[in-house]
Amino acid sequence: MALTALIVLPLFGGIAALLVARLGRNAERWFSIAVLAVALIALIVAWTGGPPPDAPGAQWLALVRYQYAPALGLQFLLAMDGLSGALVAVSIVLGIISVVISWNIRKQSGLFHACILWTVAASNGVFLAMDLLFFAFFWELMLVPSFLLISIWGHGDREAVALKFLVFNAVAGLGLLAAVFYMAATAPEITFDAFVFAEMGIPPLAQVWLLLGFSMAFLTKLPAPPFHAWLPDAHTMAPTAGSILLAGLLLKTGAYGLFRFPGMLFPDGFHVLAPYGLALGAFGTIYGAVLACGQTDAKRLVAYTSIAHMSIVLMGLSGGVHFAMMGAGVEMIAHAFSASALFLLIGALYDRVGTRDLRQLGGLQQTAPRFAAAFAVFFSAALAMPGTANFLGEALVITGMFQVNWFLAAIALVSLVVSVVYATGLLKRIIFGVPSKACVTQDLTWSELAPVIVLATGTLLFGMLPQLLLVVLEPAVDAALAPLVRP
Amino acid sequence: MTPLFLTAALVLATGLFAVGLFGLMIRRGILFQIIALEIMLTGPALAFVAAGAHHGDPGGQGMFIFVLVLAASEVALGLALYLRLGRHADVSDSDTVNLLRR
Amino acid sequence: MSPFFALLLVPMPAMGAFLLLGLGPAEFNRRAIQTIALAGATLPAVVMLPLGAYCLMGTCDGIQPIFDLEVGPAVVALALKLDPLSALVGVTVTIIGACVIGYSIDYMAKSEIADLRRYFALMNLFLASMLCMVLAGDSIIFFLGWELMGLCSFFLIAYHVTSARAIAAGRKAFVITRVADAFLLAALLLLFLEAGSVRLDDLIPAGIATDDVRRGLIAALLLAGAMGKSAQLPFHTWLPSAMAGPTPVSALLHSATMVAAGAYLLARLAPLMETVPLVMAVTATVGAATALFGATAAVFQLDVKRLLAYSSISQIGFMLLAIGLGQPEVAIAHFVVHAIFKSLLFLSAGDITQIARGTTDIAAMRGALRARPVAYLAFVAGAASLAGIPFVTGGWFSKEAILASAWLAGPFGIVLWGVALSAAVLTGAYAFRPVLVGLIPVKGARMTFGGVFTNLPILLLAAGTFAIAPLVTPMVEFLDATVPHPPLAVELVGAVAPFVGLALAFAMTFMPRISRRVAQARRMRSGIRIDGVYQIVFVQPFVALVRWLTGQRGSIADPVGTLPVMGAQWLVGAIVRPLAHDPLDRAWAGFASATVRAWGVARHVQSGRVRDYALAIAVGVALLLLLGWGTTWR
Repeated sequence: MALTALIVLPLFGGIAALLVARLGRNAERWFSIAVLAVALIALIVAWTGGPPPDAPGAQWLALVRYQYAPALGLQFLLAMDGLSGALVAVSIVLGIISVVISWNIRKQSGLFHACILWTVAASNGVFLAMDLLFFAFFWELMLVPSFLLISIWGHGDREAVALKFLVFNAVAGLGLLAAVFYMAATAPEITFDAFVFAEMGIPPLAQVWLLLGFSMAFLTKLPAPPFHAWLPDAHTMAPTAGSILLAGLLLKTGAYGLFRFPGMLFPDGFHVLAPYGLALGAFGTIYGAVLACGQTDAKRLVAYTSIAHMSIVLMGLSGGVHFAMMGAGVEMIAHAFSASALFLLIGALYDRVGTRDLRQLGGLQQTAPRFAAAFAVFFSAALAMPGTANFLGEALVITGMFQVNWFLAAIALVSLVVSVVYATGLLKRIIFGVPSKACVTQDLTWSELAPVIVLATGTLLFGMLPQLLLVVLEPAVDAALAPLVRP
Repeated sequence: MTPLFLTAALVLATGLFAVGLFGLMIRRGILFQIIALEIMLTGPALAFVAAGAHHGDPGGQGMFIFVLVLAASEVALGLALYLRLGRHADVSDSDTVNLLRR
Repeated sequence: MSPFFALLLVPMPAMGAFLLLGLGPAEFNRRAIQTIALAGATLPAVVMLPLGAYCLMGTCDGIQPIFDLEVGPAVVALALKLDPLSALVGVTVTIIGACVIGYSIDYMAKSEIADLRRYFALMNLFLASMLCMVLAGDSIIFFLGWELMGLCSFFLIAYHVTSARAIAAGRKAFVITRVADAFLLAALLLLFLEAGSVRLDDLIPAGIATDDVRRGLIAALLLAGAMGKSAQLPFHTWLPSAMAGPTPVSALLHSATMVAAGAYLLARLAPLMETVPLVMAVTATVGAATALFGATAAVFQLDVKRLLAYSSISQIGFMLLAIGLGQPEVAIAHFVVHAIFKSLLFLSAGDITQIARGTTDIAAMRGALRARPVAYLAFVAGAASLAGIPFVTGGWFSKEAILASAWLAGPFGIVLWGVALSAAVLTGAYAFRPVLVGLIPVKGARMTFGGVFTNLPILLLAAGTFAIAPLVTPMVEFLDATVPHPPLAVELVGAVAPFVGLALAFAMTFMPRISRRVAQARRMRSGIRIDGVYQIVFVQPFVALVRWLTGQRGSIADPVGTLPVMGAQWLVGAIVRPLAHDPLDRAWAGFASATVRAWGVARHVQSGRVRDYALAIAVGVALLLLLGWGTTWR
């Protein structure tokens, strides 16, 4: 029941936000925060409710099953394990942060908050749905609010960019949909239940093709090169809240899909395709990092670092060993915090000076020391400084890569070195130097500082006391790897 | 009433009708067209009377009176239209009011 | 509760000071900042000294677990560790850290950018990181400290944020040390996979137990990591440019912390290193070569700070030499001695040159004896120890031990001994050059003295350089080894070396012909221009690659990402566009427009003229009649 609330609450809350916006100044903002806070409580209730009696595995923390349209084999089937629970928590927290950070958005404010809530609802749906038709439904639903966020409240050439985002992801989503329908059609009786598919014994060759279809959607969302072209544009043009949700949630849905389904549904296909995933990840991490070094737009730079980091996640997920998988899980959460925070900071900077061009920025250290300190903290996270959760994630992935292939581990280490080049380059351009014409006079306000502190606490807490995160992820990782172990 | 007379009467009636129709078609003045219509109506009316006389049936004369009433009402309506058009639009040419609007 | 619990408290004050100053949102006034910084820097020493004393008396082998992480099959057990090595180095680091930060209180108040809060926050973090690394009982805490030092060094070297040179130097330092960090991380992770544990006590036996290839690789990676952090050939380029940071930063960076961390790493993992003779030989060779190279380059410097930077490179070369010869204990003794005299040299030189309005030219030392006697005499003490003046300075004892271990290491060792001896001679030469310049009198110089915060650390360290002299042998014995003793003749040669260097320094300072030659030796001064080689081999290709990939050279920006976009565009051009004017649709549209045109023609019938309609009715009725007549025809 509580699981259902995690999706339904923000979904209908979004519709209600449209109406509440007429009630008065900021009513929709407080309303959205209230909805998300209730969702957070629902998450806690679901998490602590004890293991469900009818769960197909020990790793599931909560499970909901309604017969939605039995004649079509359609069930409303939600299940939460440690990873999806953690990601749902991240999505709700980032939703609240998006609301707080957009306090000065005046244009169609009701719709704006509806979009935030819908994004949270749809990504929660992706993280929880185990009925694959619903999964695919939420997968596509996620695109709509983001599309609106970019095309209405974005900057620059926003319509074209929003369209690019939509076309890339909608086309890629077709692969997923096709694979789901194929599986439903070949099942003994029509169903979309992932647990049934897992037991079905799909022939190995079919598994390869089906996994390709799934990967098409997941890799584009991740994004892994060469399917990443939408990301830098979308990040650059999106409003701050949109960038936060893109980096924090949408990219994670791709990684989540690659975490959950290849092992569960297509173990044979995984063994065939994993080497390509590793190669793609290794390529992407260097490629993203090198491109980040050459960017002049601060948001584009962070977008390319996202590609580099998510490619490390891809390597971890394709490794098929415990350390790497665990590292990928940690890195997903860590990157959600650090990338969101960087977008938040750059957005705050843009609000003040009206430019993101690194060549025009500078001198933040002297004019706004808090701002500079926040940048320094999250750039330490981006370059995987020990003590941040990002280090834990990357170190675990590299450990796993040493078990898989030393060459890949070497590539991941090279990307760590390159990360210093772009991170110090960005620090040099933003916080060092002589305060330029476009210089900030106002330091971070408390309403900006509060989300920054929340995100910094998350990054450092999970970096210093990683056990909190590892305990949660461990059963999920074990369960994901169990089918991959060859008899 | 001989059949010959009947034939002659019907020929006359047809002729009256044809003259009326001809007048209706070639004249453009509304007043003349109304007169032509009256002439056209007299043709069938004559035919009714002649046929009634031939068959010894009073229905023929009945129909004649009916035609007279028809003609009277038609003239009343036609003249009203004629006067209206003439007074308000200064029109007496039926071709110029072909659009039924300004 | 075991006394080792106190280990946890050692890095805490410095870390707390960092959190308060660096990340705390509250405002502090100047005095509060200085107080917090000083407390954060001195309290670790207060905690560490009793621990060191306890270690001298009781059993010096304790582990204080922090917490355990379970990552699947492996247990990551974080812990701090106290053994003779970490106790000795820990005490050194805390004392040097307290001295340097105490000194900074006055020094930085007078600097151009008085952003004290940032400075002290970073210095305290730096100290805390080094302490974490020194006291680490496992590879994770070790790496945490190791890496955080790299981050802090970046921020501290680039402390003068408006100076492009300082920022470039910081980036260079961070990138090069990060390369080393990557090597170290690889080695530590490989060891972790071997051992299934991160405790150093488990890692070393597991590393020794593994097969030759893997062990060799791990040892080589460790060496590469240490070389990068310690600025050994060929990674040395970052250290001289790192002089762009404030002088106390250099004092901390070069003496007991970051640069010396490489030596500490190798000493820590010495049992593992010793099982790979090839890597040991490489270590010794690199050490000796760097010692000679650093000393030679230092001789040609015209800037005191750069001179001291090359001196650090050279001195750590000596430490690596000792480690490569299988005498890590001797290396650590030299580490301690070096930490004292090098921080002393930096602090006193900083004091002298700050009076000379910021320039750090050797020429700025002129007249120092008269102008700033305390700092100058302290500098002399440091230089004496650096050069290794026999019997009274700690430098002589530790350097002599290193030379001795080289002499005793067989025929190859004698070659290394020769190299190290020439390095020692050159050390004397460069160490005394600033001292002799300081003797040159300058007209109109007034005698001044610094405040308590300036003089107390300097005097303390100056006393330390002499006090440590008789303690070198006990230190080595405390580390459970013996000081090697070569034949007396060899020792005498070593004792004469600094005096030869002193003579050379005289020649270079007071003979204009030679000093002019020194001033012209640009190639040696820039460290045989390895920087330029890196620029061509790594930096330029990387920049070209970045430019090419981001489309700054007329190429397509982000070529891989553009690939699917171009594919989609081709698809549109080839298939969608020709079919865009749907032929079937056009047929239907044509039908519709033809119908519209037909109606246009047909409506002419509707003329609106009464006469036309009368005709039509007449014709129609006539036709109907004809039809009726025709169909009833019999």
